[in-house]
Amino acid sequence: MKKLIVILYGIFLLLFSFFSYTFVDPNLSYLKNLYSDFAFSQKLLTTVFYIFLVVISFIFYGIFVYLGIKKKINLKEVALLVGLTILILIFSYPAMLSYDIFNYVATSKVLFFYHENPYVVMPIEFVGDSLLAFTHAANKIALYGPLWIFLTGIPYLLGIGSFIVNLFALKLLAGAFYLATVFLVWKISKNIVPVILFALNPLIIMETLISGHNDIVMIFLTLLSFFLLMQKKIFFGILFFTLSIFIKYTTIILIPVLLFVIWRTIRKKEINWDNIFLSSSLLMLIAFLLAPIREEIYPWYAMWFLSFSFLIQKNKILLYISLAFSFGLPFRYTPFILTGTHAGLTPVIKSIVTFLPPLAVVIYFLINKKLWQNFYR
Amino acid sequence: MIRIWIVAFLLIFFLANRVYAKSDYVLPYPSNMPGGLSYKLHLLYENISKYWYFGDFGQFDYNLKMADKYLVEAKTLFDYKQYLLGFNALQKTDSYSTNILPHLIKAEKNSKDVAQKKMLLKEAMQKHIEVLEEMKNRFPATFIWEPEKSAPTILNLEEAFNKSIQLREKIL
Repeated sequence: MKKLIVILYGIFLLLFSFFSYTFVDPNLSYLKNLYSDFAFSQKLLTTVFYIFLVVISFIFYGIFVYLGIKKKINLKEVALLVGLTILILIFSYPAMLSYDIFNYVATSKVLFFYHENPYVVMPIEFVGDSLLAFTHAANKIALYGPLWIFLTGIPYLLGIGSFIVNLFALKLLAGAFYLATVFLVWKISKNIVPVILFALNPLIIMETLISGHNDIVMIFLTLLSFFLLMQKKIFFGILFFTLSIFIKYTTIILIPVLLFVIWRTIRKKEINWDNIFLSSSLLMLIAFLLAPIREEIYPWYAMWFLSFSFLIQKNKILLYISLAFSFGLPFRYTPFILTGTHAGLTPVIKSIVTFLPPLAVVIYFLINKKLWQNFYR
Repeated sequence: MIRIWIVAFLLIFFLANRVYAKSDYVLPYPSNMPGGLSYKLHLLYENISKYWYFGDFGQFDYNLKMADKYLVEAKTLFDYKQYLLGFNALQKTDSYSTNILPHLIKAEKNSKDVAQKKMLLKEAMQKHIEVLEEMKNRFPATFIWEPEKSAPTILNLEEAFNKSIQLREKIL
């Protein structure tokens, strides 16, 4: 039975990876042989297919979590699923749902090829550069932290001047950090359920292994910092926490939590790590909800709080809300896939799919408090 | 009738030689003015940010930004009859203006498309000339700056304005 599930999951991932190539940008000259115009001309069919794939991915997720809770899956089998997921999705088309990966390439090119400061010079200033045809935020200076820009130097160097190699090396970088984070989740929790919850979560998989978002790097460094602080290694804990800020700045919001942990460690007082993860998750959820002040809620921002809420062992409400968010957020893409516009009903639908599932969980939780009580048992 | 045409022709010819095309380039607001501690800190920040703006385009941006800034500073100081300080700011804007073009040439040598930057520089220099012409007409040709405890300084403002204008015309 399990073998069949793994085979079906592998086929599903291949299908998802294949489907991602229907989104190849018409201006992406490097992949012009793979351009089909399907996603742009067959919008309704593409939307239906996308919804179908997302739903199927959550069915698989539910099965894996169930197997984990019932102790019917071991760590080796989870590792196999994680390996399979990385191996297949690393070859998917990265700009299916977001164009951010092109910005990463463009920013690294500004620094490593043109030898200009990406915090001062925008990619758009290099008139005639082939990247400008498909990079969507070329008119912005670097948005991310300096450590991330230096890290993008690795894929840039590996690319040896090839855009495609650079692009997929960036995905490989995201994949490596995803794997490292999964390992950390295991090291921190020593429980297979949080590992499954994190590693096989469709939203995390899509945003990390397909879109290659750098949030996974920030999360890895923060979790590493917390893991080191659990071992009472204050210096390295602070160091890696600082490095996480230099990826994407968001973890600044966790400074009070970090200071609290350091203070308790110095005073040799016991630390309730469940409360630490709960506070971190709540703070990151606040940062997530405040995202519209700057731009809008992007689905990959959910990684900020998901990674912590999956580590909470006792207080489950935040875990269920997080799961509900992770279910709804992939559907934020659907109105744009269907209509091709960010205007009209798109923002309304985006809000509904984002907030309806967690709201439903809260209401259901209020009605039946005993729900999910034995989740980890 | 012919006389009227001749006069009109001469007037147009004369004015055409004097009037520069108006540039849409926007100069910045005046920033910190000399005299306080904050200005000294600002100078320090400027010197450090020179390294932040590395690269050909970065240096182009930096020098143009500084040239604009000190031109506005000079104009503001002249408006407040702080001629010596204004004169110094004028020297600074000239110095930064001189640095702009070499970085653009270097960028071109490094195979960067500089057409847009050249256009920007042209517009900026046109604006600078507009401002300098206006200043030249408004302020005295020479000024003797007499500090209380040291020897007076003769400021040849007209010569300084002419030099600044010529420098920018060369860049154009």
